[in-house]
Amino acid sequence: MLQFILRRVAYSIVTLFILSATIFLIVRLTGDPVALMAEASARPEDLERIRHQWGLDRSWPVQYVTFMQNAFKGELGKSFNYRLPVSELYFQRLPNSLTLGFAATLISVLIGVPAGIISAVKVNSAWDNVAKGVALLGLSIPGFWLGLVLILVFSVWLRWLPTSGSGDWRHVVMPALALGWYFAASMLRLTRSSMLEVLGSEYIKLARLKGLPDVVVIAMHAFKNALIPVFTLAGVNLVVMVNAAVIIEVIFAWPGIGRLLYEGIFQRDFPLVQGVVIMAGFMIVAINLVVDVLYAVIDPRIRLTR
Amino acid sequence: MRRPQFEARSLFYLIIIVLVLLAAATAVPLSSGAAAKGKIVLAWHAGFASRWLDPQEHDGTATPDNFFTALHDGLIKNQGTALYDHPALAERFTVAPDSKSATFTLRKGITFHNGDPVTPQDVKFSYENYRGAKADVFKKKTERIEIVDDRTIRFVFKEPFLDFAILFGTANVAAPGWVVPEKYYKQIGPDGFKQKPIGAGPYRLVRHEPGVKVEMEAFDGYYRPVHVKQLVMTSVPEAATRVAMLERGEADIIYNVPGELISKVGKLPGVTLAPVLSGSFFLEFPNFQDAKNPFRDKRVREAVSLAIDRRAMNQAETGGMGRPTGNWINDDVQYAIEWPEFPRNVEKAKQLLREAGYPSGFDVDWVTPLPAFYSRGERIIAQLREVGIRGRLQTMERGIFFQRLQGGLKEWPGVQMILHGVRIAGSWSFWYEGHFKCGGFNSRDRICVKDLDGKFDQYERSINPAERKKLAEEIQRAILENYYLVPVFRHAFVNAIGPRVAAQKWQDVFPTITTGYAYPWEDLKVKDQ
Repeated sequence: MLQFILRRVAYSIVTLFILSATIFLIVRLTGDPVALMAEASARPEDLERIRHQWGLDRSWPVQYVTFMQNAFKGELGKSFNYRLPVSELYFQRLPNSLTLGFAATLISVLIGVPAGIISAVKVNSAWDNVAKGVALLGLSIPGFWLGLVLILVFSVWLRWLPTSGSGDWRHVVMPALALGWYFAASMLRLTRSSMLEVLGSEYIKLARLKGLPDVVVIAMHAFKNALIPVFTLAGVNLVVMVNAAVIIEVIFAWPGIGRLLYEGIFQRDFPLVQGVVIMAGFMIVAINLVVDVLYAVIDPRIRLTR
Repeated sequence: MRRPQFEARSLFYLIIIVLVLLAAATAVPLSSGAAAKGKIVLAWHAGFASRWLDPQEHDGTATPDNFFTALHDGLIKNQGTALYDHPALAERFTVAPDSKSATFTLRKGITFHNGDPVTPQDVKFSYENYRGAKADVFKKKTERIEIVDDRTIRFVFKEPFLDFAILFGTANVAAPGWVVPEKYYKQIGPDGFKQKPIGAGPYRLVRHEPGVKVEMEAFDGYYRPVHVKQLVMTSVPEAATRVAMLERGEADIIYNVPGELISKVGKLPGVTLAPVLSGSFFLEFPNFQDAKNPFRDKRVREAVSLAIDRRAMNQAETGGMGRPTGNWINDDVQYAIEWPEFPRNVEKAKQLLREAGYPSGFDVDWVTPLPAFYSRGERIIAQLREVGIRGRLQTMERGIFFQRLQGGLKEWPGVQMILHGVRIAGSWSFWYEGHFKCGGFNSRDRICVKDLDGKFDQYERSINPAERKKLAEEIQRAILENYYLVPVFRHAFVNAIGPRVAAQKWQDVFPTITTGYAYPWEDLKVKDQ
């Protein structure tokens, strides 16, 4: 078991290392950030001064080594734009992103799971068709469009909710709905297919043959087993929503990590983009590691075969 | 006999009281914060960079002035119709006739937000410590700084420095004259200062959420009355959301209403559009002097100018709120010349092309507009096609565009056209230096007209203002008469003002001609006051 865990940890470190090198290279391939930090009437001397100030006049390998040395110490560099440590900025925005992520996850689960179950139980019925239609709409309506429509309806026409920004619970409703809507659709589809698979399995047939009522079969036997992949997906979705809800956060001026990333990309704020991507990568790798270890604990065959 | 005595004494006391009250009223400046009421929320159109709160690191762009005109103040500044010399922390200033020194006298009793007095030593520190745009110019030309007395400071230059005042006083070019408190700045450090800036401007910082929001409150000790108690600037990158905020009363001023939303915003009850004239759009022909380049022929360049429908462009792109221009240099900078709008004449353009040996027109490899004004590039292409000039649109990410501009001619091979959009305050020479001069920051080696560069060098060397003005005008005329650059139109930076803001006309809120922003902030008023 220990060997298994060590191997998985090593894989995770290699993954993070590859991620760090990739993001380091990609942000630099987009061009010189100084071109955006000073423009129009700037002189070459101004550009050189800025390059030197941020260490951008050094070679890429030197910059990378410095970046990694700092990363090992928990420092992800200092943002060009905000002049604050990236980790500080990240953790300032994290509560907002977690709030939005959890609210959107809740919405997606509350819509997606019951609709998916009903759709599977009443397969090929009107209920199923409605649910499939909702799933199709959820997957095909762009989040930014839905966000703008929500603003128009609930803020401008009905005046029930504030248009944007953060504050009390009313600020969370629309961005969480716009963000959760897409994930609700994917959740619905997965719940439906998972439930259909479970409902067709031998042990469900046996339960029915034993004369158990449908409600008990669905709630006690099918539901629990069908939800394992659904909640795994919900966990991954949550990480994505916390770290990459870029468009929704921009539309609703929500001060989260997605918007931070957007501003970093837009301004070529290399340390910020690197930091946010690495933190997101770290989160995903950590969650996968925990899941792998838990699987191995539950099922010993996994640690023998992998 | 007692009665007249009593009356005389009463009259004497009354006169004394009136005189004392009068003296008090005139000696004490209007306490701004105490009288200020209400709140104004400004929805900013992009992200916030914390460096914009520190004038010491002015990045040379026309952006930070929106923020530090609220929090900070300069000795002199661009405000209203004054290009650079509006007295601010300095009540007066003089530049020596030989332009080898400039002397500033500070206002009496001015303080920073923390109560410390603004002293000549703070001015000296701010100047010497300044490391923003054009810092090298100031450092190279300054011999020493003399503190003459507790309100007077003198900058002494190594050589005549004719552009000193214009560089020193134009907030959207450089900021060595914007005063920060030395003691506090040293104590908290440059990065700390960007998070919690203290200045001598009309508003003091209350709360700063980096990249999200800046909340400010009227500063009691400002030397001019500040009318609105709270000023909040919040970043809202999405235009439709900004408009919804205005419609719902969550914002009072919004910046940058895009073309497609202008008519909707214009119809909102109580809302006033503020189309501030902004950057100038013009066409450049990289490497036009090459023998194989069709644009080498002046007639071809003129044909391009004749083919462009400037009014249609203005109408489509800014709802007609921009201005079809004659000069490629904005008229709100020193020595910019007025030039009549160029005509549109498709038939004459075709004739000129025939005379130049292109009866069937020719192909342009790429037409590249300033990102993200791609639709303007498409319109230019469509208009040129009418006269037989066939171009293809090339779109680039903004950073790549600037990088390729700075890469010079090798980045623009073949037959190309660039649609630039530029706004530079201060002097016409900054435009020439950046976008025309051989070796200029953005022009590099794409345009090299030796005789004009020679004249520009002469301009730079000259210490005679009359000669400089003459040279500036000659150079600008030559560029326009030869169609080295073809002006298209002046863009309107369209903002909107909500019903709570007191204004008879939009210029009451946007009175400063050198910027698209709503300063001076202290002059803003809300209606319920």
